Amino acid sequence: MPRSSYAGIFPGLAALALALLTGCGEPAKPLAAPARGDALPGADAGRGRARIAEYGCVSCHAIPGVRGPGARVGPPLRHLASRAYLAGVLPNTPANLVRWLRDPPAIAPRTAMPDMGLSEADARDIAAYLLTLH
Amino acid sequence: MKPWMRTAGITLATAAAAALAGALALVYSGWYDSSATHPHTAPMNSVMDVALQRSISVRAARVSVPPLDDPQQAIDGFRLFRAHCVQCHGAPGVPPEPFAMGLMPPPASLVDAARHWPAAEVYWVVRQGIKMTGMPAWQYRISDEDIWNVVAFMRVLPTLSPADYQAWDSRHARPEAPPEPEPAVASAPAPAAVSPAAEPRLGDAQAGRQALQQYLCITCHAIPGVVGANYHVGPPLGGVAQQRYIAGILPNTPANMVRWLRDPTAIDPATAMPNLGISEQDARDIAAFLYTLDEPE
Repeated sequence: MPRSSYAGIFPGLAALALALLTGCGEPAKPLAAPARGDALPGADAGRGRARIAEYGCVSCHAIPGVRGPGARVGPPLRHLASRAYLAGVLPNTPANLVRWLRDPPAIAPRTAMPDMGLSEADARDIAAYLLTLH
Repeated sequence: MKPWMRTAGITLATAAAAALAGALALVYSGWYDSSATHPHTAPMNSVMDVALQRSISVRAARVSVPPLDDPQQAIDGFRLFRAHCVQCHGAPGVPPEPFAMGLMPPPASLVDAARHWPAAEVYWVVRQGIKMTGMPAWQYRISDEDIWNVVAFMRVLPTLSPADYQAWDSRHARPEAPPEPEPAVASAPAPAAVSPAAEPRLGDAQAGRQALQQYLCITCHAIPGVVGANYHVGPPLGGVAQQRYIAGILPNTPANMVRWLRDPTAIDPATAMPNLGISEQDARDIAAFLYTLDEPE
């Protein structure tokens, strides 16, 4: 069978590949996009990561990027940025995360998570780091 | 024609015929389980997921999105949501109706959907529905303007705490709406999985793995080894066996786990996890399954 009878297939395949590629262009934005750390002006994720180590968050939570014993007192914080709710109670927005970090019992009176006495600035830095965990 | 071409042709044709015969035999033998008590196999689920997303994206690409910022749109959309969507999809702190929990695939948590699907695609799905799921097409029942109102409300939905949703409910529900038969739903009899007279037996992890499909656990939680359970509305459940507290409140004991599963709002009134009407036996089985999860994902 001469090669020419297959030749028509390749432009077809190329066209299909092109159509697929153009179809996959810039993905459209979700209706209510998950929280992002850069919505906290002035906060610094790198500083937040250092604060997490200083406050000993890892003695209760497993946190990617921060060395610790892999404790499971509270939930693991992997995927925190993708989580819809904080503590199962608050919608996961940067502002709510800062509120929660500063005083958890004010939001969920029976929570086992203590008020760690975080300053506003530390809470914002820590929130910025946690919101990088997709 | 050269001899190798002939050989190749015959080989290809035979292979194609064998594959077709095999596929037909598989289909006709009834090997594939179509019941709603078992999910698709993992490969089938992945293929269908990608096919669904591509199908929707391609078709929604031509939709032009109107402005959705007028607060009245969200309020009008909420009334429709309350009338037609919450029964299957639930809402923050509100469980789906019992009939919806038996659906396979399970109705999505719309909090999660709004966080991942763009406006045009949400509109398209509401308007056109999704084949072989419980999602109906609303285009013959609701005007396009109203479908966009629902989209506008869905943009607000993930920002609402359970208490906020309650507040919307009391503020915006139509006055003529019939009173909710809430107590009837809450006290609805447990699904017939358990024989009525039987004393609850010890939890059975295998039964629990099957039962959790029927309470839509997988629409909100990532659960290792459970097909389709990869949502992050609630916390991931990998390693939950090792976790010290349940919901950050109760010490993690089997009895507390059963209590929490059966009535989360009794333990934490503010929780987004609704009371799903889980029977004592099913809660024991699901707890037994959860205690097999001692490794994080």
